Amino acid sequence: MLNSINPTMKAVTIFVPGLLLAFVFDPFTPFVYLIFTIAMTFLLSDLSLKRWLLIFTPFVFVALSFSWMTMLYSSDTFSDGRILFSFWWFEVTEGALMVALSLGLRSLCLVALSLMFVLTTDSTKFMLSLMQQAKLPPKLTFGILAGYRFLPTFKHEMEVLRQAHKIRGVGRAKGIKGRIQQFRRYAIPLLANAIRKAERVAVAMESKGFTGSTERSHYHKMTVRKRDWVFLSAFVFVFFATVFASYMFGYLNIFGRQF
Amino acid sequence: MHLERSGRQSVNKKHLNNTLVDVENYSFDYESNPFDPLFNELTFSIRKNETVLLMGPSGAGKSTLALCLNGLYPEAVEGYAKGSIRFEGRPIEDFKPGELNQRVGVVFQDPESQFCMITVENELAFTMENLQVPREQMDRKMDHVLESVGMTAFRQRNIHELSGGQKQKVALASVLLLNPSLLILDEPTANLDPASRYEFIQLIYKLKQEWNMSVLIIEHQLDDWVEQTDRVLAMNRHGQLIADCPPHEAFYDRYKEMVGEGIHLPKVVKTAQASSTYAKPLTEAELLNVLGESALEEKVKSSGIQEENQEVILELKGVSFFRKKHIPILNGVDLSLRKGEFVGIVGENGAGKSTLLQIMAGILTTKEGKRRFINKEYEKWDERELRRELGFVFQNPEHQFITDTVYEEISFGMTLNGKKEEDVNDRTEYLMDKFHLEKKRWANPFSLSGGQKRRLSVATMLDETPRLLLFDEPTFGQDARTTHELMNMITDLRNQGTAIVFVTHDMDLVNNYCDRVYVLNEGEVAYEGVPSELWSEKSLLEKAKLRLPYQVRLQQELKRMERKEVVGHA
Amino acid sequence: MSNAWKLREIVLMSILGVVFGVIYLMFYFFGQGLRNVLAPFGLGPFGYEVIFGIWFIVSIITAYIIRKPGAALISETIAATIQVLIGSPAGPRLILSGLIQGLGAEVVFAATRWKNYNLSVLVLAGVSAAIFSFVWGWFISGFAALSTSMVLAMFIVRCISGALLAGLLGKWISDQLANTGVLRSYALGKEWQAKREQKAS
Repeated sequence: MLNSINPTMKAVTIFVPGLLLAFVFDPFTPFVYLIFTIAMTFLLSDLSLKRWLLIFTPFVFVALSFSWMTMLYSSDTFSDGRILFSFWWFEVTEGALMVALSLGLRSLCLVALSLMFVLTTDSTKFMLSLMQQAKLPPKLTFGILAGYRFLPTFKHEMEVLRQAHKIRGVGRAKGIKGRIQQFRRYAIPLLANAIRKAERVAVAMESKGFTGSTERSHYHKMTVRKRDWVFLSAFVFVFFATVFASYMFGYLNIFGRQF
Repeated sequence: MHLERSGRQSVNKKHLNNTLVDVENYSFDYESNPFDPLFNELTFSIRKNETVLLMGPSGAGKSTLALCLNGLYPEAVEGYAKGSIRFEGRPIEDFKPGELNQRVGVVFQDPESQFCMITVENELAFTMENLQVPREQMDRKMDHVLESVGMTAFRQRNIHELSGGQKQKVALASVLLLNPSLLILDEPTANLDPASRYEFIQLIYKLKQEWNMSVLIIEHQLDDWVEQTDRVLAMNRHGQLIADCPPHEAFYDRYKEMVGEGIHLPKVVKTAQASSTYAKPLTEAELLNVLGESALEEKVKSSGIQEENQEVILELKGVSFFRKKHIPILNGVDLSLRKGEFVGIVGENGAGKSTLLQIMAGILTTKEGKRRFINKEYEKWDERELRRELGFVFQNPEHQFITDTVYEEISFGMTLNGKKEEDVNDRTEYLMDKFHLEKKRWANPFSLSGGQKRRLSVATMLDETPRLLLFDEPTFGQDARTTHELMNMITDLRNQGTAIVFVTHDMDLVNNYCDRVYVLNEGEVAYEGVPSELWSEKSLLEKAKLRLPYQVRLQQELKRMERKEVVGHA
Repeated sequence: MSNAWKLREIVLMSILGVVFGVIYLMFYFFGQGLRNVLAPFGLGPFGYEVIFGIWFIVSIITAYIIRKPGAALISETIAATIQVLIGSPAGPRLILSGLIQGLGAEVVFAATRWKNYNLSVLVLAGVSAAIFSFVWGWFISGFAALSTSMVLAMFIVRCISGALLAGLLGKWISDQLANTGVLRSYALGKEWQAKREQKAS
């Protein structure tokens, strides 16, 4: 189901709540929306939980690290309420804890939304949909796809370079200068090759009659159907419903203002 | 003829002769104001359904000409162009953008960079979308073209997972969808192994008859193309046309001129020229008819060292290797090497050749089996010591370059090992002199020519004379001169006692140079021994997709002819 | 706008996006190590802040090599799109981030009317991209909740990272690349060629 939603519509769907979440600074709203997003992800697709967790879990640590920082260094607007605990030179207040939780949950919410897109969308179809629905010029669409195609090539080349460096006796880099040298030793061959390939691919594409003209037929006809709109509206509706609920419970906080 | 071409035949009734492309006094250069243009006043034509072979030394701009003929140049590069090119009597400037590209299909050299989509299906669709083929017709056309090139089973596959030969067939299929009147093949087999090359050439031979088109072949390796060639065009270093005639005339009547211009001629022609015949054979069968047994060359052993008495310097016993812990790549491989020996490792793509080489180099390790180099297990070698005794030359020389200049590149390892500055300097000078790189001393390694890059990549491995030098397909995609230079360097090294291992697809090279050969098949050693005995193992050769070397082909063909004769007389 | 661009330039931008996508992984592990050291002090996110500049390097390199109006903006947006196709967990939101960062670099080049590409302009473009991206990050990641001194510290680190990892490193890599001769048909390569000829005569 998620796989067959029009990719452009799916992108808009995760875009809108993603942007709106930026206004909210209470933990309740992102928490509820996170649950909703995860539930939708698994209800509407047959993704394996294991695979999803494997990608999601590292971001829990990133979120924790960000929350921790927010809690210790929160601004005056948010560090009200009683002091919960203090150590070294830090004093953690109730308000700071809440806003820290909020920001951590927000970042996880954004990741969950993105994963819902990334794990259920075919890259080629996303680009074709951007061309057919969002009127992205064919030159950009196919130019981007042509570059994307080289991902496995460069991953492989990176591996070969690592081996070649070993043969030449260049071990692991030490210090900043060593690191920059190492960066150069990888970057120059990769980039030099990339530039040559870009020219060749472009010529090959044009030799097959590609002019960048928008007058072309479509093998994969991407369409926006009623259920794509239902999908989008559902995500926006649930967002506002969540905001309303947290207003009713008295949690809602927008840019430090309690409602 | 399978697809519609009704609108096209009516173009230009005036042009009643059967000329397809007409080039007149055409000059071109990338600079807008050239002193000595890349091509100079070219005049030639290509007729309908004709197969023309275009030859010339590297750097003569043969590939550029392909792009001038399909109208992409000079516009795409803001270059300089003078003279005229007409397509079916119509000047190419009169074609709309993209229009001429649909009449002239090009298959390029590099199988990696001709596609913009992930899957075979989408790539073929891309071409048809450009032509605005209605969606309903796409499936049928796709099926048809895939069948033509024998790739029906690959429709849903990812292009990057295919072998080089398969990629070139996909490139060919997508170009055939244009239904071109002229098919240009710009060294399409230069990056393929000999077996795939032969298969591709045979495919072209078949398609040409089915699809009704002219073919312009641009190639260095002419051997298998000659048979289907109607006419030969040859360019010299200055971009001038020096021959426009049937193949036997170009190869025999102008032999000296061609060789003088650095153009490589087919092996058959070279053999015939070396003999005293006046006949002009073009194929192996013709050659044998004319020369008989005297077409065979005496095999000269290149090494002076008696390998059997030399010490063993490398030994692998029961070595296995698994990718991702459970996919077997190598399975119980035994291998040994003696001092100064030259060993070839051959086999199909994916047979495990490169993995085996990497294990021999110590850049891959495995716990399965014993691995000894000189006098110690691999695990006991100090990394630095090992690198001094053992060199590895990668398929693409650029991957090994790590500095900005040729000088630094050669001296890098020695400086790293803390050698005295004087010694480093002396050795670097010596190596630059020996490998003819002294004029390029301060040049950037990436800016060198293909041959220079190859020489430099070998030179960087010779800080001290190593005991073992490993090569991963060093002749792949290289022209004959570079290969020849490389083999000279190797003979030199062997005389100093260095053992050489080649992973290669080139059976001529194996036959002419190797003392022993290992055939890998599905991760196991399927043959080990002298090359001359390998060539009689028919079923093995077929299984490992190996093509017989030129000299052996002649030998076997000759035997067959003799047998026929005997039967005929009886 | 895109019709003024040649296909090979667009493919170039997109391939650069792929290459730096792969190279970024190298930096990512470096950033992660730093994060783990700083985390106990609540400074973990600085680990990523330090390497943030590498995100802008594509726009600097492309603008410096191709030298056309819009190069920085378009290339950064394309590079971000490539990240989405590769499967970046940041998802389609990245395209917007890329657009904003690219715009940041582009304004600086626009201010010179796309005429000046010397070191200080490139460094400035890197800083400007950092500023734009920081403002966007302030909104989307909720930096409003952080104390002013913390926000200021992060801002300064990101600007420095933009100046060094995007501006300085971008120029250095491009120059090295021009030296290999592969850029012959681009503006930067032509400039190098002209310099070389001048030296020779």
